[in-house]
Amino acid sequence: MTKDEVQGATEEEQAQSKKGLKKQQKEAEKAAKKAEKQAKLAADQQGSEEEDFAKDRYGVPLMVLPTKTGLVDQLIWLRARVHTSRAKGKQCFLVLRQQQFNVQALVAVGDRASKQMVKFAANITKESIVDVEASVRKVEQKIESCTQQDVELHIERIFVISQSEARLPLQLEDAVRPDGEGEEEGRATVNQDTKLDNRVIDLRTTTSQAIFRLQSGVCKLFRDTLTNKGFVEIQTPKIISAASEGGANVFTVSYFKTSAYLAQSPQLYKQMCICADFDKVFCVGPVFRAEDSNTHRHLTEFVGLDIEMAFSYHYHEVIDSITDTMVQIFKGLRDNFQTEILTVNKQYPSEPFKFLEPTLRLEYTEALAMLHQAGVEMGDEEDLSTPNEKLLGRLVKEKYDTDFYVLDKYPLAVRPFYTMPDPNNAKYSNSYDMFMRGEEILSGAQRVHDAQLLTERAMHHQIDLEKIKSYIDSFRYGAPPHGGGGIGLERVCMLYLGLHNIRQTSMFPRDPKRLTP
Amino acid sequence: MSMYQVKPVCGSLLKPDLPTCMYTLPNIHGQQGNSCTSDLCSEHALQNGEVDPAVKALEARQDEILRKLYELKAAVDGLAKTVTTPDADLDLTVSSSLSSQSPSSTTFTGVTNLDTLLGKDLGALRDIVINANPAQPPLTLMVLHSVLCQRYRVLSTVHVHSSVSNVPPQLLSCLGPRHADSYARQMFQLGFTLIWKDVPKLQMKFSVQNMCPIEGEANVARFLFKLLSPYPSDAALATLVDSWVDMAFFQLAEGSAKERAAVLRALNSALGRSPWLAGQEFSLADMACYCCVLQSGPASSTPSNVQRWLKSCENLGHFSPAKPFLQ
Repeated sequence: MTKDEVQGATEEEQAQSKKGLKKQQKEAEKAAKKAEKQAKLAADQQGSEEEDFAKDRYGVPLMVLPTKTGLVDQLIWLRARVHTSRAKGKQCFLVLRQQQFNVQALVAVGDRASKQMVKFAANITKESIVDVEASVRKVEQKIESCTQQDVELHIERIFVISQSEARLPLQLEDAVRPDGEGEEEGRATVNQDTKLDNRVIDLRTTTSQAIFRLQSGVCKLFRDTLTNKGFVEIQTPKIISAASEGGANVFTVSYFKTSAYLAQSPQLYKQMCICADFDKVFCVGPVFRAEDSNTHRHLTEFVGLDIEMAFSYHYHEVIDSITDTMVQIFKGLRDNFQTEILTVNKQYPSEPFKFLEPTLRLEYTEALAMLHQAGVEMGDEEDLSTPNEKLLGRLVKEKYDTDFYVLDKYPLAVRPFYTMPDPNNAKYSNSYDMFMRGEEILSGAQRVHDAQLLTERAMHHQIDLEKIKSYIDSFRYGAPPHGGGGIGLERVCMLYLGLHNIRQTSMFPRDPKRLTP
Repeated sequence: MSMYQVKPVCGSLLKPDLPTCMYTLPNIHGQQGNSCTSDLCSEHALQNGEVDPAVKALEARQDEILRKLYELKAAVDGLAKTVTTPDADLDLTVSSSLSSQSPSSTTFTGVTNLDTLLGKDLGALRDIVINANPAQPPLTLMVLHSVLCQRYRVLSTVHVHSSVSNVPPQLLSCLGPRHADSYARQMFQLGFTLIWKDVPKLQMKFSVQNMCPIEGEANVARFLFKLLSPYPSDAALATLVDSWVDMAFFQLAEGSAKERAAVLRALNSALGRSPWLAGQEFSLADMACYCCVLQSGPASSTPSNVQRWLKSCENLGHFSPAKPFLQ
């Protein structure tokens, strides 16, 4: 409604007759009141319009395309999330965030911004995505609370692209706060279950971003190192007809008229590839274990990085290959992901990961001797329990100062039926485990490649031969001596960073109690 | 009673065939009885305990000869020791073949038993772990390692710790090539694990439960040397060895130029008196001083005795592992 329209209404009144005059008068009064109201509104609006010279510099538009340049004293466009916004008189301070990085931004009443604009900025809900045109300015005092500490943005234009709901299920600062600090200062920290229920928001925290970028790095280094060594990547089926390692820990799925199982490990198919002359293979894929273990290091579904290779002289070639791959991964992480490691350490402090090159290899008997010296009594052919593994990890760390080592020559009695026995000593087997920070990450061995011996071993372990017939059949047509092992991606990341729960390194974890998100 | 008279069988005066290669002595029994009258023979008979002067003279001659023999033997022994450390004129290849036969048996005597020194073998490899900084390679320990390998079955491995980003390849192969049996750790008597790590001071760990870590190259060298042969039982000599070792590591290797010069002078005077620093035998003192002298400075300014001694050390053949690091 403009002033012109109001003037028009009053002019019309004078041209009417007396009868209609009263009516008109009434109408006029009504209209006048209405017009008054409107005039007032219009006056207000116009008044505000007059004051709001910055009207076209803010609002909720439909589409804006930013272009990024970015240097000091330059005008840039930026799309980011609003991390916090805080009004203070004639100014509004915003912290804008992109993934792990955040920068302070400032809207101040002046020749570029109006009071309404500042108010608008202060009212933008947290986590909304905004487009901002701002000039980058250097600051004299470092801004401690942001990752970009030397500059701040002076906003010229600000537009909300996608608004977030006002009430967030969890606050990001709380999610990033270290546990101890929260207790000390009486501030909130977020429960793990809440974080996992609202994973989309929790994954936005700097810590989660750093963890999963590092995990992506692990996968890439694994692939690159093995490809450079001449390995071939394969994909194995996950729906299988028979449980490969004992029937208790498999998920059953209905498969048309029958049922099938979800693969516990790609073991069988890796070995079949070796028998099919691929010589060296690896595969990256999900592994399903229906174990009802609610521990800090078990998931029902996780990503398995598996290796299998044929060797020429001795199964130690396999160990050397696997340990070299792991060392290359650790070196790659140490050299290229320091920012991520430090970010994670801010919330979850831990000792940096140490390793030796070439990897330390101890024999099982040596481990028993070390434990014996430390006061633990164990039988010769007993398996290591979890507390003993942790103690052994500490002893090895004290003597050799390494968090990663291999334990070779396990006793035959505690290994699965397809493990090759030691030709020199029937009590032991050509099998090995690898440990990070005292926790097991890989269990591997030289496999029995002779169908006859395999049948004998299976009968010794009282396994139904019918169930593993196709497995034994794959070795009947010439199989080279081979061995391998598999690691869990989540567990490796968790132990490398020194975290304490595997759910922190699994994006959408699956355990006996959790199926969503 | 009369007896038969038998005619004589053989002639009365048969002359026996006397050998001509023997001394002819006068007949003690016959002549004295014949030539003397009865009352005179007792005078010429030997009194109790008295020895015929001729026998005495013989005995004296025998003693003289034996004494000379012993003297000769001692002189030959002394010469033999110097022959094993010949001077520069001798061909090195010849001497190294001499020394490779059994250097440890001639240079390191004394019985040592690993079980008594290191504790009972619990069925697992007894592993000695040494953490060293790649900026200061421990030459003495490498030399000791090669001597240990000749004496025992040693499994040697070299690792690089994650605190060091890379290490020159000669440091990786400083303990020699990988043993063919290295996959069977139990077959070895001793493990020698060298880890290149960013440590301020060289460190050795053996039995974490019973021993605290040993720091400093000198102390680790003493530990390893005692696995080869015990320290001299004479306390003064043992202290002398120790003092030379300390002088080598503190003043030669880490001291100022003045201190080094002083040590070289002391070495010179000590080596003027005896072929080796601690007397007649090669010892840890010589090993330590050799490595530190060569590590610390060029060979031109060393005095003559020291130079001669350096050559003798080299000719022993133990110091070849340290050679690549002394250029």
